[in-house]
Amino acid sequence: MTLGGWIALALALLLGGGLAGLRLPRVWLGCTLGGTVALLVAAFTTLGVGVDWVWQSPWSLGGERVHLRLDGISAWFLTLVAVVGGTGAVYARGYWPDQAQPESAGRGRAWWSVLVLCMALVLLCSNGLHFLMAWEAFALAGFFLITLDRARRETRAAGWLYLGASHAGTLGLFAFFSMLAARTGSWELGPMRSATELAPLFWVALFGFGVKAGLFPLHIWLPSAHTNAPSHVSAILSGVAIKMGLYGLVRFSGWLPLPKGAGWVVLGLGVASALMGAAFALAQNDLKRLLAYCSVENMGVILIGLGAGLLGLADGGASWGRMAMAAALLHAWNHGLFKSLLFLGAGSVLHATGTREMSRLGGLWRAMPWTAGLFAFGAVAICALPPLNGFVSEWLLYLGLFESAAGHAPVAIVAAIIALGVTGALALAAFVKAGAVVFLGAGRTRATRDAHECGWWMRGSMLALAGLCALIGVMPLAPWFFITRSLASWEPGWSGIESPPPLATLGLLHLAVALAFVLAALALWRRAQAKGIRRELTWDCGYSAPSARMQYTGGSFAAIASGWFRWVLRPERQMRRPRGLFPAQSSRVERVPETVLERVLGPAGGVVMAASAWVRQRQRGHLPDYILYLVAGLVAVGALVLAGSWR
Amino acid sequence: MSAIVEFLVRLAVWLLLAPLLPGLINKVKAWVAGRRGPPVLQLYYDLARLWRKGVVLSTLASPGFVVGPAVAWVAVLGAALLLPLGPLGISLSFRGDVILLVYLLALARFCTTWAALETGSAFEGMGAAREVSYAVLTEAAVITAVLALSLRSGSVELGTMLASSAGTGSVLLAAGLFTVLLAENCRVPFDDPNTHLELTMIHEVMVLDHSGPPLAVVLHGAAMKLLLFAVLLVEAVLPFGEWSGLGGAVALIGGVALVGVGVGLVESWLARYAFKRVPLLLTTAFLLCLFALLVAWKGGWS
Repeated sequence: MTLGGWIALALALLLGGGLAGLRLPRVWLGCTLGGTVALLVAAFTTLGVGVDWVWQSPWSLGGERVHLRLDGISAWFLTLVAVVGGTGAVYARGYWPDQAQPESAGRGRAWWSVLVLCMALVLLCSNGLHFLMAWEAFALAGFFLITLDRARRETRAAGWLYLGASHAGTLGLFAFFSMLAARTGSWELGPMRSATELAPLFWVALFGFGVKAGLFPLHIWLPSAHTNAPSHVSAILSGVAIKMGLYGLVRFSGWLPLPKGAGWVVLGLGVASALMGAAFALAQNDLKRLLAYCSVENMGVILIGLGAGLLGLADGGASWGRMAMAAALLHAWNHGLFKSLLFLGAGSVLHATGTREMSRLGGLWRAMPWTAGLFAFGAVAICALPPLNGFVSEWLLYLGLFESAAGHAPVAIVAAIIALGVTGALALAAFVKAGAVVFLGAGRTRATRDAHECGWWMRGSMLALAGLCALIGVMPLAPWFFITRSLASWEPGWSGIESPPPLATLGLLHLAVALAFVLAALALWRRAQAKGIRRELTWDCGYSAPSARMQYTGGSFAAIASGWFRWVLRPERQMRRPRGLFPAQSSRVERVPETVLERVLGPAGGVVMAASAWVRQRQRGHLPDYILYLVAGLVAVGALVLAGSWR
Repeated sequence: MSAIVEFLVRLAVWLLLAPLLPGLINKVKAWVAGRRGPPVLQLYYDLARLWRKGVVLSTLASPGFVVGPAVAWVAVLGAALLLPLGPLGISLSFRGDVILLVYLLALARFCTTWAALETGSAFEGMGAAREVSYAVLTEAAVITAVLALSLRSGSVELGTMLASSAGTGSVLLAAGLFTVLLAENCRVPFDDPNTHLELTMIHEVMVLDHSGPPLAVVLHGAAMKLLLFAVLLVEAVLPFGEWSGLGGAVALIGGVALVGVGVGLVESWLARYAFKRVPLLLTTAFLLCLFALLVAWKGGWS
């Protein structure tokens, strides 16, 4: 079958899935899986053979011919859409079934297929007008998926915030595409690096796509949306949907000429997102919110790579620029995989216990060993620890940055390297906290008592994602091959340069280290068993009646490091101290607000609202008032004219 | 064939000689205090004894409690094997091996803290919280030191980075790395390995509930980590690329012994800092490394 055939098949199947989803869950699952497999085939054909696919419709839609194009960059992101779209659909079968959610399961299935379809169309559209249409449909599908469980107030609020922020970004994209069309005279998109007058448009695109990508000051919608959505939806939003913003940045930085300083700004945004995302993640007490902030951090890491790539493009640093760019692309894949895995794991915890609040959980490994093991696996991957995939991409990024620093060592590159190291350590703290507080120790409340392991649908999809993480970890050469293809369509000038990083060595070492881990663990376990294992209470320095409430909580675990970031986290505390001889009630509630939203945008919005209210008060329907306004206006205009004529 | 022999020698050095360093430090401390102190080989006796003992596990602990120390031990050993070893040179050199080293140590940290939290004890929680928090600052210092070495040598390979000669900036680098060594290995003034107060410890409190063979693995891993940082420090400062054979071996052994004596003297003369002051000291280490980086960058190494 030709490439076009596979894509047509995929789109048709996904459309079919969207129609069948409401009533026929099995048909829907088959259609969605078939569609995503067809998408994968198409994407890997393009990446493997290196041939672009272009198709133009004989008819027109909205006055423009539909122009679809599948090249290295869109194929790279298309694989991610397909993998998470497919595994998430399998997960949803166990997580959001008709029996448990009779009202919303059908809607959820239908919108899921629509979301995957629209993301594929965003990646394929090569006409500004249709790109905007697909983009808007994709944003709307996301909104309906986030608000599946719309009986809850928080969910509705999160949905509205997502919709508002998303449209602010779309507004930027409207400006971007229409200005582009006005200057080039056509909605058609394509390489136009030589038209240097288009360079300033990059800033508009950076805003528009940056909102979707969840970059630091623009991420306000992300935490609440990803927290309140059903977990499989959180997985695809966090793993894939925010990558659409990244796709836009990669795509248009490849096609358009870049303004001076673009690389620096992107690098700076990346550093800010990485550091702030990690700091906010560490301070969270809601499992899914922690994961959501961690997405901001990982987008920051990716942006550091993209920024260094842009710098390499501008400074002629082909070797390191290419490495950093490759790291950005690979980290986009990796983050998609392990973040989806972690969100699915968080989903099965939520499914089993009914709460996301980490301080209510604990000791879940006994009831849910698979989930605990897979979550720990995902945590190792996301902390960029060897021998898993996260390390491969961060290692590439470090290599690119180090090589760039050795070249001419601009301060920003040095700062980015240090920030990357600090971010890694913060992420490690955050994930030790998340994993340990939820799965280890003793259960803190009744919520953990009836916990149960998730079913095979959910387990299977998590296992598939974990398998992919391990595969990239031990075989990093395979994605590198596809990355070179993808980079060749980003910057054709770089394709001739071949100085591959020693990925084969790294892969072999990863394999050896992984084997050594397994052997050592088995040997130690056997030795312990041979010498006899006795089970006793935790020692606790001689105290013989430790209770679950005496355990360290997530808040206390993170207290030291998040204390260093108090200037930006601004935690809110409410404390009722115990009083008297027989203290009846005492409590302490701590909440980490979303600082940008609640401390910056909230007050700013309040000022606008107050000003509007004041203006409205002046409109009371009194004729004398309006005459006064007219006179005042005339006097003001007259004064302006006079001031103008004097000069 | 010779490659295998060389690998085995390297493995033997790390596995067999590592427990010597804590013994040396304890001897120095005893000497300063005017005591006789435990024998230099004490840790070997302890390890042998622990390896033969049975295991007491917390009722709350999952299999991860035993897997954690094993993985952490392998990770530290793997990181150690990446280091060049004086005259033995480097076994496997590739671009970016230094980053693998740093992240293998991070993996060891992940596993140690994970296993610590298995027990559900507040003491272990405290230790783990301190470990991961202070690691944020030490990580910054280590990465900066690596960057300084990389800028000086123009390479991202440990073999080349650690081969070149010393200069003015290396004093700063040595001071920074020595502080990092103290912090990462939980020595005074960051932590007191001899204290009996669990409330004030970092590393020792994380391993309170380990016993038997897993505890032996934990202790051996800690000794290897100490030796790793000592070797890294010595090789970062001294020009091992210019010495070969016996001279290099003597310099390496002498340097590591000197670091051990230094740790012992610091422990004898300083008290443990209050935890509030620890971040300040670590920031100082970071700044020292940063200044070393500036010196390297502006070409001050001669």
